Amino acid sequence: MAKLKLALYWSAACGGCDVAVLDINEKILDVANLADIVFWPIALDFKYHHVEAMPDKSIDVCLFNGAVRSSEQEHIAKMLRAKSKVMVSFGSCACFGGIPALANFATRAEIMERAYIEAPSNENPNKTLPQIKVSVPEGELTLPELYENVLTLAQVVPVEYLVPGCPPTVDLILKVVNALATNSLPPVGATIASDKTLCDECERKKENKKITKIYRTHEIIPDPERCLLEQGLLCMGPATRGGCGALCVKVNIPCRGCFGPPAGVYDQGAKLISSIASIYQTNGKQDIEKMVNELVDPAGTFYRFGMSISMLKRKLPQKR
Amino acid sequence: MKKISIDPITRLEGHGKIEIFLDDAGDVANAYLQIPELRGFEKFCEGRPIEEVPRIVPRICGV
Repeated sequence: MAKLKLALYWSAACGGCDVAVLDINEKILDVANLADIVFWPIALDFKYHHVEAMPDKSIDVCLFNGAVRSSEQEHIAKMLRAKSKVMVSFGSCACFGGIPALANFATRAEIMERAYIEAPSNENPNKTLPQIKVSVPEGELTLPELYENVLTLAQVVPVEYLVPGCPPTVDLILKVVNALATNSLPPVGATIASDKTLCDECERKKENKKITKIYRTHEIIPDPERCLLEQGLLCMGPATRGGCGALCVKVNIPCRGCFGPPAGVYDQGAKLISSIASIYQTNGKQDIEKMVNELVDPAGTFYRFGMSISMLKRKLPQKR
Repeated sequence: MKKISIDPITRLEGHGKIEIFLDDAGDVANAYLQIPELRGFEKFCEGRPIEEVPRIVPRICGV
């Protein structure tokens, strides 16, 4: 079999997904036997113009991590889509918006103001903000336009597969590598993880107990054997796709939903609200008000990794 | 004036490009490092519970 051509790219991301690819350790040698990497900014010195010069559909698989939140990122996403036979949303940012999509709780203007003017480490008395075009004595400089919205990859280009996780686990990455090696990719549209919820793979004991208080994580030391939600800790397990191996809950840390909604769930936050409603002991309006007050930052918790695909969508820019 | 673009700069964490302007003699007249990326942690960490911040800020850089 001819070697596959593989591209990896990072958009609005942290580099953790790229490093996760290296976390497969010596198996990376199998990848090297299987594929030639034709673009991977973190590790190899290919430029955008090299990709631009490649014929359409000449890349077999592109693993694209990161959200899309600028004109440059949209341009690169579209370019890599045109050059690639298979496009994979790799990691929670590309799949659901991820942590960068928390920016959808603010407007672009508020983000710019905070980052470039208000932040105490700035020295910017003229309140200069990045411009798309700026003239310098030697000529002109350009920067991409920052979008109002943080988007997923699939909101910008058609995508064949989703590989969720912040970052995708070694097991999942090996699953992808093996599927490529044996030419046994799942049907287009598949999410390469479990179809069930995290709760289905969590080994904690569930006793169908009601709760009377929601605790913040620093307020109690949870029993390591029992369901975290049934101990009053907000755990995104019932509203989150499994496939991570229950990494966080195994170390007594509640899930924050980085694998996105499970199959058949439209909105991760709405699903969790329904789970909480079913276990919170209420005897009337007062208890409900108490529960609501105990939920600190519900939107930022329920949509920690999924603002871009949420029903909430975003904070609306103020009308002028 | 001739311009050489290095885009993207590679083998490091993050996004960047370098524009180098050359004068008529072919010497470097000026060079600019630009960061074509902003996520806005400075803003979106506001309002998050403090005990959650250690689970958010590792995503500034995962390398």
